[in-house]
Amino acid sequence: MAQFEFRLPDIGEGVVEGEIVKWLVKAGDEIAEDQPLVEVMTDKATVTIPSPRRGKVIKTVGKEGEIAKVHQTLVVLEVDGAPATAQAAPTLPPQHAGQPAPLQSAGTPAPGAKGGNGDDRRLLATPVTRRMAREMGVDLAQLQGSGPQGRVMKADVLAQAQLRQERPAQPPPPSPGAAEADEVRPLRGLRKSIARTMAQSHTYVVPFTFVEECDTGALTALRAKINAQLTREGEPKLSYLPFIARALLRGFDKFPDLNALMDEEKQALVVKREVNLGFGAATDAGLTVFVVRDVAHKSVRQLGAEIERLAKAARENKLQLHELQGSTFTITSLGKDGGLMATPVVKHPEVAILGVHKIKEWARPVRHGTEGALGIEIAERMNLSCSFDHRVIDGHIGAAFLYEVIAALESPERLLID
Amino acid sequence: MQPLHKLETPPLPREILLRIYREMVRLRTLDERMMTLQRQGRVGFYGACTGQEAATLASAIALEKSDWIFPALREGGAMLLRGFPLVPYLCQIFGNAGDETKGRQMPSHMASKSVHQVSWSSCIGTQLPQAVGAAMAAKIKGDRTVVAAYLGDGATSEGDFHVALNFAGVFKAPVVFICQNNHWAISVPSSKQTASESIAIKAQAYGFGGVKVDGNDAVAVHAAVKQAVDKARSGGGPTLVECETYRIGAHSSSDDPTRYRDEREVEQWRKRDPLDLLRGRLQSWGIWSAREEDELRAKVLEEVNAAIAEAEKKPEPPRESLFEDVYSVLPWSLREQREELLASPPAGKTSQ
Repeated sequence: MAQFEFRLPDIGEGVVEGEIVKWLVKAGDEIAEDQPLVEVMTDKATVTIPSPRRGKVIKTVGKEGEIAKVHQTLVVLEVDGAPATAQAAPTLPPQHAGQPAPLQSAGTPAPGAKGGNGDDRRLLATPVTRRMAREMGVDLAQLQGSGPQGRVMKADVLAQAQLRQERPAQPPPPSPGAAEADEVRPLRGLRKSIARTMAQSHTYVVPFTFVEECDTGALTALRAKINAQLTREGEPKLSYLPFIARALLRGFDKFPDLNALMDEEKQALVVKREVNLGFGAATDAGLTVFVVRDVAHKSVRQLGAEIERLAKAARENKLQLHELQGSTFTITSLGKDGGLMATPVVKHPEVAILGVHKIKEWARPVRHGTEGALGIEIAERMNLSCSFDHRVIDGHIGAAFLYEVIAALESPERLLID
Repeated sequence: MQPLHKLETPPLPREILLRIYREMVRLRTLDERMMTLQRQGRVGFYGACTGQEAATLASAIALEKSDWIFPALREGGAMLLRGFPLVPYLCQIFGNAGDETKGRQMPSHMASKSVHQVSWSSCIGTQLPQAVGAAMAAKIKGDRTVVAAYLGDGATSEGDFHVALNFAGVFKAPVVFICQNNHWAISVPSSKQTASESIAIKAQAYGFGGVKVDGNDAVAVHAAVKQAVDKARSGGGPTLVECETYRIGAHSSSDDPTRYRDEREVEQWRKRDPLDLLRGRLQSWGIWSAREEDELRAKVLEEVNAAIAEAEKKPEPPRESLFEDVYSVLPWSLREQREELLASPPAGKTSQ
């Protein structure tokens, strides 16, 4: 003889409890398999629950009108056959409801769970809970789950996160207050998103900025020649940006770590194979960054056309989501009022950003011949301000990268044949 | 309730009639057992076909092996009729290692390529454009496949119904729409589905024929569907067959029809039980006896119970299978979870 414990199954889809409406058996009754045991009303249906086993009722748990939780024991039967844990049960093997396992109280760990040090404990959690834990920085393995079979529930993660917050009493974020005459403008939409991105950069990135000038005389001449030809053909002109994009590729060739993303969770640098360049574009709503993908496989002319198209879309606020995501390095044009130098903010998780300043003419000292007289010539120069994440890019690497890009821009013909 | 149309002689070969009847009895028995198992917590969910056996099985038997079935709900029994073995069928409901679909589908939503049947469509009506698409593929390939697209009365209120029937009509897809008008779309009565005088009449608007039959009369269902299948196969395009029947039981194991339906209506329909109607016909033709009935009932119950016992013994699907079949290369987050899972001790036998 063995005992068989019948528990209230989930008789609906996701039912958690039911009211015991009527007992159809009592202690001492001999009952047949499939004989109705009890009527239970859930929030979905009132159902009659039949016994999965034949046997003698030892006891029923709960009175009519009381609430029984799903998986709570309803009836204990004395049944024929081997001890309940054996596989030999003729009609009902033990993995199902009314599990004929040794009686155990609700608090006992599930079979297979060792508890204790947590190392070989089974870790049960749904994907959404796992994600939540990851984002909140909660270690699931440290939690005692409150769900079925010790499953870690969202509430467990939240409780842990709250506990952690409570311990060091954090001051509330500063709020300066406002006088009646002041304008209080909540951050919304693009502005809110910019604020978040910038704060993220400030939280993670340790920035340093390196500035150097680039002689653009050859590039300007080459571009003028190309644009004259394009104009004759009735094609749109090229800006400097596609040339700069191609020049960056030369930098990445030598220093692939500059085209990379930081994985903060794993503390790993993810060096990207594909070069997807972000281009900062000022719009009425604020700064936005559109992305030109796979730059390495596009010619100067293709890049020019794509940048033009996306810049227009940005101005008209028509960029698609995929045109805003996935950049691995960003270029920001500082425009005609861009100053001598700037400290562009690295767009985390990227590790570097290039700021491009306006091209200016200047008087350059030249010596005619080796012993000749000192003279002056009018030359062109453009400053480049490049910021790096010093956690992963050392100063001399960042500088060497920028010199590589400058060298490429100063011999621009190469950019057309690369 | 209309009386059954009298037929002096069997309109179908004896063995086909008996096969339909045996399958109807087996399905009824299976449904009864599975609803009981659901209440005992041995399976998580079940949807019975009770009352609709004729509309389901007498229609499916009119198809050829190479034809495809796109079911609505409750047409799982057609798989058994078309030769799918009972044990793996039950394993799907248990969601265990014996299930072809690896325990991933909701119980009762079985499917198998081997018998050309896709899963139940719990999203109402979505199977209809898919069925028409499959029929168009057959037409373009030039093979002789016909597609049976099942639907309920509720699906006729869905946009997909219009899309599917219109496309099928315009392009003469080799498809037969079989509407099981069982009077209840969960709790919505068929009187609230349409202002048309019938569902069948809607076919006219799409430029093809519609026919309404007594869905509880297996002989009538078979005749109407067979004609429609033959027409589709010979290039004549679609047909809408409305089988007027009744859902005797609950919508599913999660439903309680006493909350919205008058039990007296159910009693009326019980008097037109499709099993009783077909058995009456068989007896009137002298090809079925009370002794054969008793033998069949006993044999079927034994078969079903043995299959349940065998299916229930199977272990859970291997836990690593959780990570298969979605990504060709597992993303790091899932790789990590898999390693974590495999490093931990296997699940103990758990109570649900």
